[in-house]
Amino acid sequence: MDAAQALRELAELSSQIETAVVLDADGSVLASTHEDPARAAALASSTLELVGAAFELNAQPQEVMRVEVELEDAALFVLRDGGRTIAATTGSQPTSGLVVYDLRTCLQRITEPEQKKKRKTIRKVKEDTE
Amino acid sequence: MRKLIRLAVLVGLAIWAWRRFAGPSGPQQRAGVSYADGSSIVLEPGSAGFERLASIARAALRQ
Repeated sequence: MDAAQALRELAELSSQIETAVVLDADGSVLASTHEDPARAAALASSTLELVGAAFELNAQPQEVMRVEVELEDAALFVLRDGGRTIAATTGSQPTSGLVVYDLRTCLQRITEPEQKKKRKTIRKVKEDTE
Repeated sequence: MRKLIRLAVLVGLAIWAWRRFAGPSGPQQRAGVSYADGSSIVLEPGSAGFERLASIARAALRQ
């Protein structure tokens, strides 16, 4: 599924998520709920900075899969899967399990077709070599 | 039976009073990070790690 379409569905599905952005493996913005590209870029930049800071917190170098920061009046969630990153902001006291589930589902919807394509390509290569 | 109901009401009132007067007040702040090896950390306000993540998150949430 297209990243923009997946984000639109996420926004419709989740009443808690206020804004969200999807980043590609190289950190570029794939899709955003922000109409203003500058705001999307700013959220993307903060997301990458947050992942970097979370990476430095661990004594052993480990890839960061999830970051949640809940503050007085809002929260920021970052989830990574299959090389892609999704970040979302919510209001205060979100149901974090539900938000994370929605974000993971959104990322999987974006990733799935590419994995299927890869499987098809591998199958085709095998058939060609036989 | 009456004693049992009275006891249940008293326990309920005690729990409510505990939450109302001795429980945490205001919204709770926290931060958590999960890593690829399955490990995770929870950071409480006041810790250096929390303040670092919170400052980045605040900047992102202001936009």
